[in-house]
Order: sequence, then C-alpha cells, then structure tokens
Amino acid sequence: MSDAGASFGSVSERWSSEHVRGLAPDAASAKAAATVAKPAKWSGLGCDGEAVWGECQGSGQRGYQACADLTEPAYRCSCPSRKFPCKHVLGLLLLWSAGTVPEGGRAPWAAEWLDRRRERTAAAPAKPKAADPKTAERREARVAAGLDDLDRWLCDQVAQGLAATESAPYRLWDDLARRLVDAQAGALAGQVRSLAALPRRPGWPDELLTEYALLRLLTRAARRPDLPTGLRATVRSRTGFTVPQEEVLASGERVRGRWHVLGTRSSEQEQLTVRRTWLASQEGRPALLLAFAAPGRAVEPAPPTGTALDAELAFYPGAAPLRAVVAEQHGVPVPALPPGGTVADARAAFAAALAAEPWLDAWPVVLTGVHLARSADNPCAQDATGTVPLRTADFWRLAAVSGGEPVTLTGEWTPQGLTVLACHHPTEGTVIV
Amino acid sequence: MTRENAWDDHVGAALLGTGRRTPAPLPEAPEPDGDAAGRLLDQAAVLAVGRRAGLLPHVPDDVEVLAPAPPEELPVVPAAAAQRLDGLLQAPGADPSRAEWLETAARLGLRVPPALLPAVLDLGRDGAGRPLRPVIARVAGRRGVWLALQNPRWAYLLGYTGDAPEADDIWQTGTRDQRAAHLENLRGTDPAAAREALLEVWESEPAPARAAFLATFATGLSLADAAFLEDALTDRGKDVRQHAADLLAALPGTAYGARMAERARDCLRREDDRLVTGKPDAHDDALARDGVPFQPGGTFLPGRNVGTRAGWLREILSRTPLATWPDHLGLPPERLVTLPVTDAADGPVAARRGGRSGADAEDAVHDVHVSWAQAALRQRDARWARALLAHGEASQRPEIFGELVTVLPPADRDGAAAVLARRLTDPALLCRVLHRVPGPWSGELAATVTAALAALAERPGNDDRRSFPGLCHLVETRLDPALAADAADRFADLPAPAQESRRDALVAVLRTRHAMIKELIP
Repeated sequence: MSDAGASFGSVSERWSSEHVRGLAPDAASAKAAATVAKPAKWSGLGCDGEAVWGECQGSGQRGYQACADLTEPAYRCSCPSRKFPCKHVLGLLLLWSAGTVPEGGRAPWAAEWLDRRRERTAAAPAKPKAADPKTAERREARVAAGLDDLDRWLCDQVAQGLAATESAPYRLWDDLARRLVDAQAGALAGQVRSLAALPRRPGWPDELLTEYALLRLLTRAARRPDLPTGLRATVRSRTGFTVPQEEVLASGERVRGRWHVLGTRSSEQEQLTVRRTWLASQEGRPALLLAFAAPGRAVEPAPPTGTALDAELAFYPGAAPLRAVVAEQHGVPVPALPPGGTVADARAAFAAALAAEPWLDAWPVVLTGVHLARSADNPCAQDATGTVPLRTADFWRLAAVSGGEPVTLTGEWTPQGLTVLACHHPTEGTVIV
Repeated sequence: MTRENAWDDHVGAALLGTGRRTPAPLPEAPEPDGDAAGRLLDQAAVLAVGRRAGLLPHVPDDVEVLAPAPPEELPVVPAAAAQRLDGLLQAPGADPSRAEWLETAARLGLRVPPALLPAVLDLGRDGAGRPLRPVIARVAGRRGVWLALQNPRWAYLLGYTGDAPEADDIWQTGTRDQRAAHLENLRGTDPAAAREALLEVWESEPAPARAAFLATFATGLSLADAAFLEDALTDRGKDVRQHAADLLAALPGTAYGARMAERARDCLRREDDRLVTGKPDAHDDALARDGVPFQPGGTFLPGRNVGTRAGWLREILSRTPLATWPDHLGLPPERLVTLPVTDAADGPVAARRGGRSGADAEDAVHDVHVSWAQAALRQRDARWARALLAHGEASQRPEIFGELVTVLPPADRDGAAAVLARRLTDPALLCRVLHRVPGPWSGELAATVTAALAALAERPGNDDRRSFPGLCHLVETRLDPALAADAADRFADLPAPAQESRRDALVAVLRTRHAMIKELIP
C-alpha cells in the first residue's frame, strides 16, 4: 500500500450498503448479514481510513472477531463459517456503511492481523514452477488431436444437415465434450456442452450455425503457424491453454491508470463460481478481472461497483487484451462516475473488438446521457444515435432513479442487447443490478 | 446477393446438409481447407462475425422514452435514514420498524429516495402491506406517482394520492376496491357529493358492493346522511343493514337514536346513589331492524357467557345517544360512572365489587360500563371517554377501554391512558388495554408503563412473568423514540431474573429505534 493519497475517513468514502450486499457470496448471507447488522450485537466497534473491526456476539461464549481491510479489500472473521465473507463481516460493513461505527484506534487483534497481511502482501511472489517440457509437449499433441476431432465432427454435422439436430439428444454434444476433456481442451468442452440448449430455442438454426462456424474458425486458426502473437495467444486461451498468473505479472502488458469498476456478474460454470468484474480506464480502455471459487466457497472480493481505483493492471496476452490482474493497487477505491459514450460509440467499440477477436460475445461499455425507454415489457435505452434493448430484470429500479432524465449505464454489450450492470444518476446515485 | 441473403443461403444449406446443397462461394472467405462442409463453415464464420458486429439488436417499433418525472415538492430523507430503510426493506420478515420508519417520515413530511421506491411500493401490494398504503402514498413523492402511472403493479397508489387520472372513470369502471377508495376520498372532501354518487348507482349494485361502499360513510358522517341510512336499515343485504345501523348508532340526534333512547330508558334507572339495570324481556322485529340481532355478537365471549338478554341490554345501551343519560338519570357522566350498579332481578344488593352476589353485581356494572364505553367510542364523545377511563370497570373488555383513548385530543391521550393504566394491577389486563393505545407514548403514560415493566421484571410471580414479553413488545414498538435511549439505559441495568434475553432484546430494539428516528431528524 504505497501512496494512499485520498483523505481517509470522510463520509463520502464509505461504501453504500448496496456495495456491501454485493460482496455477499449468496442471497442467504446477505439476509443473515442484515440481522447481524445491529449495533446491540457488537462491542469494540471501530474504524479508521483503512479498516473496520468489531466483536460480534455469537452463539458461543466468546464473540467473533470480524475485521475488514478496506484497501484491498480483504476480510477476516474468527467464526467457523465457510462462507466468505461471512455474515459477521458483512454485518460489520453494513454498520460501517450506515455510519454507526465510530473512528478509533485499532483493537490489538485487528492491528495484528492487518500488519501481518501487509507483510505478506509486501513479500515477493513465489517463483513460478518450471513446467516439465515433456508434459507440455504431450499436451500440445493431445489438444491438436482434439481440435482435429472437433473439426471433423463440425464438418460431419454440416455435411449431414443440421435439421435433425432439432430433436437430437444431449448425448450428441456430450460425447464430443467428453472427448475434448480427454484431449485436455477443457475450455472447448464447456462451450460444446452448452450448445445442447440452443436447438430448443426459437431461431436456433442461425444461432447454431453461428456457433459451429466460430468453432470451425478456431480449429482452423489453431492450425495456422503464421498468426500474429496476440491472436495466437487468444486462440490458445480459447482452446484451453492458460497462462499462469505469475507469468502475466512478470511479463504481461502493464497499464497504470484510474480504473472504474463498471460492475460484476457471477455465473456457474463447470461446477465453479466465476465472477467477472468489468473495469474501464479513464481513457475508456476495458479490462476484465476473473475470479473463481469452488461451490459453496465465496469468490475473492472485488472492488465495489461505481468506484474507481488507482491501480496498475497486468494484461493477459490476446488480440483484444481484456483479461487482467491487479498488479499493484494504490489507495482505496473511491466513488466515481465512469466516462462513456453514445449508443453508436458502444456499437462501434463492440464491432472493433470483434474485428480483432471474432469469438467475443460480450464487451464492456459505458453509455453516457441515455434515456430509458420501453415498449410494454421491453426495456430499452435510447439516445440520438440509436436504441438498444436492455437485458435486465431490474428496469423499474433504473426507471425510478432516472425519473425520465438521462443516466449513465454500464453493461456488457452483446449482439442481443445491453446486459445492464449499473445505472448512475448525477443526483440520485447508483443502482447496482 | 446481399450479406443477409448470403447468410440465409448458408443456413439453408447447413440445415439440408452439404450433401444436398452448397452455398454460393464467398470471395472474402479464406482459402478452402477440406470438403464442401468445411468451406460452408469457413464462409459462415466470415458472415457470422460480420452479422454480430453489424446487425442491430431487435427493437420493438413502439418504444417510447420515459417522460420526465415532475419535480418533487417534499424534501428527501437524510442519507443515513435512507440506508436504514434500505436495510429494513432487505431484512426478512415483516419488521414493525418498517412501518414506524415510514410513518415517521410521513409525519415529518419527507419522501423516500427514488432508488428505494420500487421496494417501498412493492411493500403495499398485497396482504400484510395493505394497511401501509396510505403512509406509502405520503412518502412516495411525485416520483412514486410517476412510477405508479407507468407500472400497473403499483396502481393502488393512485387511489391514495388523488392522482388517479380520471376519478370519475374509476367510479364508473374501477374494481370494487378502487371504487371504495375513490368514494372514501370523496367522503373526506365532499360527503354530500359522495352520497349523491352512491345514491345514483345504489339500486343496481350487488349487496357486497353496497356494503363496501356504505362502510366508507364512517368518513365525514353527519346528520345529512341520516335519511339515507334509515332507508338502508331495510336493505336486502344483511351486511348493508348492519353497516347502516352501526353508522346510525354513531350519530346522535336521529330518529334511530330517539328509538334507542326510548328502549334504553326502560333498561336503566337510578335509585338514589345506585343504578339498576333491567334486561329486556323480549326481542322483536323493530329491534332487529335497528341492528340488534337475536344473538348479539358479544354473547359468546370466550370464558364468560353474557347471556342473550344481557346481550340485548348491551346492544341497546351502546347504541343510545349518550346525551340521554344525564337527563334520564339526573347526574353528569363523571358522577354516573362512579355509581354502583345492580341488576333489578337480584334485588337491592348494593355492591359494586365483591360481596355475596358479587359476580352478578359485577356483571351488571360490566353491562353498563362496557356499553357506555362502546357508545363513547362510536359517538367519539370525549367527556364520557375521560370519565370512563378514570372510573369505568375495564376488566371485562379492556380492549374497548384502551381504544377509548383515541377519542380524546392527542394532547390528552397520554394522561388519560396513564390514569387507566395505574388502576389496572393485573399485568395481563394492562397489556390488553395498552395494545389498543396508539403510540408514540410519552409523558405520564410512558412513565407509568416503564414503571410497570420494571416492577414486572423484578417480581417473582410466575403468572405475571408471562405478561413480561407482551409488555416488552408494546414498549419496544410504542414508546416515543425520543425517550428510547433513556428507557434503554434504565432497562439495561434492571435485574430481570430468567428474563435477561427478553430484556436485552428490548434494550437493543429501543436503541435501534432511537438511532433510526435520530437519522430521520438530524
């Protein structure tokens, strides 16, 4: 934690309760946190610019010591819960966000943990394990064979005709997916398996041909020895080769800047919880932080939506580099409005990104000064340059905050419309979807 | 061929299979690598990426931008209060603090911030939240109405804010609830117009609708309604007849009141310094027509069978204009409520409490005092209410006496309720009375109740202990939040053997409420 330039402790820097609830690993934890967030249940509450701490009355004899490091952020609690952050930490943060936690000197146990954390963060990262070249070679060969298998399968499908697919059993894709797993091309296996749902939807022939064609594009690209470095990295990552984070930190492209947090979305993938946190720099460059967790475990915390942090990101290699890790963070996230553009700008940004990386299905955008609109139950956003359907179940919360005035929307631009992440109004504040 | 035609061509070929059909070659596709199927996929990839980048998502034709919301007139609640409400809305279950928050904000003339409006408006949508509707309407601001006009889910709001676009339309075409709400509003501003509107449709409405509409006459009730209500006493609908009789019973100075007074004078007389009741011997059609059924509701009170004849007596007395009594019995209400009461059938046993035939004498005094209390409640008679609170026998129907407090002007309520509370030594009775005394409690009442609670906490008696949680709950929810911090401090130090956890919960709730109100009034 080098230069923490912001002025600590002022009310404006407190996270809103909405931010805090956004940290909950699941809805049940968020509810439980609300019941814990009562001052009467706590003793020794305190906070300073970098941390909040307190002891919560638990069911046992001794209270649970909960502490949140606001700079990373990072959380700790002495309770046995496997949820992370647990309800005590969330409750503590809710109290803090409501302004009921007084400023004060750190409790000794909190100070100890925070200091130990600082030391650990400052310590040099472990050296990457040298990979066995033989293992790597074997894997290359296996994946190449898997891609050939996939290519043959795709061509067979199209040669026979996709019409029969409408009533095909899931086995059709499952068998292929299993073979891809055996071929150590796991990333493709998941994608193939998810195709099984397509023929059950209206307009499926267009969708299915699109997906098959893009997979074919990938198998052909993978065979080409002459791809530019970035595109080569993209193709490798899409076929399941991962770049170790240490390597990214050591040699990835570094960008220091003011990174706005556009929003987060969690999804279940292959029995993993995946959380995507979309960022955009002050200059409009997007970035994606990915976090994974096993079922029942919480994903590591992300900076809250609607804030900006001064940080240096290290980007994974790619044709349209998007995925990144935070290499260095300077100070705490502070509330800020992300800079954005028009509907046409967003469309152009997505098109440009696709031109660089044709397999993209979503691209983070910020729409500034758009009006909310609707036709019956179809919500949209509109400005002078165009209209885009909104994919959100929370339209009325956005509408309430907008009051018919222009708002800033952040979201994932997809070919079907904008999946809304957050809505900002200059005076009414932020709604996180 | 356009790009979109080319795409359709590829989809068609892919569906049929390249064995049967191949699409036209695409010049910009990469060098062929493999068979016809491979070529189709290569070409489709070029087209698909182009489509993803260039095709506009489907947008319905009739999309309309949301019209600007009108500017707000009320100030918004402070930020800390908004955060508190947000937490209350997220918390599971129906927390009574939600209602208090909303009511306090409404009383202070504040509105909720727009971001919370959808959740607040959803609160009032059904079941448990219905009673909150009027207060939601007051804190929703212009933005709430703006939302309700666009989202039918919240249309109920429009009935409370006078923003219903065409009030007349609602009366003509609305649902029964909407029409009743409309009529109730109109009764508040122009009772005569409401009566005229109802008269126009009276004959054509079904009985349940007539009953629902007639019930709104409790608002703005006056002698001008008497003739209409008198007619309604012979309505085909049973509920309509009952509503009409109950409304007339609240309206002294009518023919109905004169008929009841005539019956009542036969039922109660004064012999020197005591009152003597005479239960009616028979029930007739005229009595039924005036709203006294053969089996009055109160006659089956659990645990105490009042008896059919006593039931008639109570109904008659409680429907008689209170002004009848000082004339007929020759004493002012303050004296009348102190006189012992006996039943004529028991002979001259002048015992108000205890004594040989104590039970019967108690019944007689209950018959009279409960009926008077009911009458004072119906006729909103503050003088009688005050007299009964000070001396009335409340132990049989304590709820009615608790409710009597609402007849008094707000400034007098705490004092009068305290007088009643101090007379009640049984904590269970005290709970039942206090349950009906609206908050916030302050002044003498707050002092009396907190003292009672403190005494109860320390008392060893097992029976009393059972009342402790009930009284705690009442204090938690009704005590004036301005006193909450002090009360919390007092209770926190109170020895409460075997009740510590309930006491601690009480202290915690009081502290939270104190904080909650302080957030609203910074």
